[in-house]
Amino acid sequence: MINRILRFGLIFILLILLQVLLFNNIQFSGYVNPYIYIMFILLLPVEMPAWLLLILSFSTGLIIDFASGTPGMHTSATVLAGFVRPYVLRITSPRDGYEPGADPSMMIYGVRWFLVYASIIVVIHHLTLFYLEVFRFDDFFRTLLRVILSSVFSISFIALLEYIRKGK
Amino acid sequence: MRNLLNFLAKYNHLIIFIILEGIAIYLLGTANNYHNTRFVKGFRGLTAGIEKRVSNTRSYFHLREISQSLSRENALLRAKTEQFSQKDDQVFFSVADTIRHQHYNYTSAEVVNNSVNRQKNFFTINKGRMQGISVNMAVISDDRVAGVIVGCSNNFSVAMSVLNLDFRLSARLKSNGYFGSLSWDGKDYRTAILSEIPQHVTFGIGDTVETTSYSAIFPEGIVIGTVSGFEKSGGDFYTIKVSLATEFRKLRFITVIGNLMREEQLELENQYQ
Repeated sequence: MINRILRFGLIFILLILLQVLLFNNIQFSGYVNPYIYIMFILLLPVEMPAWLLLILSFSTGLIIDFASGTPGMHTSATVLAGFVRPYVLRITSPRDGYEPGADPSMMIYGVRWFLVYASIIVVIHHLTLFYLEVFRFDDFFRTLLRVILSSVFSISFIALLEYIRKGK
Repeated sequence: MRNLLNFLAKYNHLIIFIILEGIAIYLLGTANNYHNTRFVKGFRGLTAGIEKRVSNTRSYFHLREISQSLSRENALLRAKTEQFSQKDDQVFFSVADTIRHQHYNYTSAEVVNNSVNRQKNFFTINKGRMQGISVNMAVISDDRVAGVIVGCSNNFSVAMSVLNLDFRLSARLKSNGYFGSLSWDGKDYRTAILSEIPQHVTFGIGDTVETTSYSAIFPEGIVIGTVSGFEKSGGDFYTIKVSLATEFRKLRFITVIGNLMREEQLELENQYQ
């Protein structure tokens, strides 16, 4: 148990550092801003109670917000992602359900499952985030394009990271 | 209570979600300048519609005060233009003459009592001696002749309306300057009679009739009405029907005009009569 907490703590710190130090500085043409810290929410144990998930989402978002100077923006998006995660897990659940105590990882449930699961949450998160960022519906499609492109990149990076993690 | 607890237990994640999301949005709204502005703008857009209605209604109820203040301002402006419009054609004037530019004084007031259906109609206005009104001042409404002040108390004045058998006013045809005497025949509250216009004068229906300054009451050039008909009467004069420009039935905000030089003029004139 302590071991698991430590492991998630490590993942948490690594993801936040990656996000803040690396991905926040990546900007291809203004349309692509990958946010990979959401991966932390993806990786939390399946059976984690909803309230704890929400509080962890909130803290994650808050830390990213303070690191990137946008109070509330990432927090809202991440809390929403944490809120929908149990529902997404339910609709993407494999035929024989989740094993008790399992992490939702690519290792256990396969690449396809992980991509579907990650995509839904990442897209929800990015939609919220980017529309909160512009905070208006002018340039609706421009923002939507940003959401789509950034989501593609985020999902790719998350899958890559998950793949590396799987290799460990 | 138990149900409430059950409810809370069942939907705890939803409640926590709402609380946390609320905090996040709050942060978003307060800590970011841009979002804050957008929020304020959004709410303003929402409330602007309501506020507009409220203020429309409110301004409707305030119309009375607004028009009062407007008519006050009008009187003030008129007094000002009076100061400027007196042409500075005097070369010599007394140093002590502080009103040499000003011939007339304007005060706005409101009609508080009015009648049009008697043979001798008067109306009462809400300003009197204390506000500088005195007998024999002219009363106009919207730049049209309304009457003459005939009596003052401290805070009210009674004016003789044009619609009074005793009312006499020196009036002229604007088109050619011939003047006559205007009176009311007691028949129709929209029509007065202009007499003493000689028959060799040509004029037409619709010609404007305006005041002269001969009476030393009205300034010259204030509209009385328009010619609506005429007939030859007896000797050498026309009897002209003048359709009055003033709406006596809805007389409300009026301006009282005092001739600052009336006494002087009359005094001088009396010496030679």
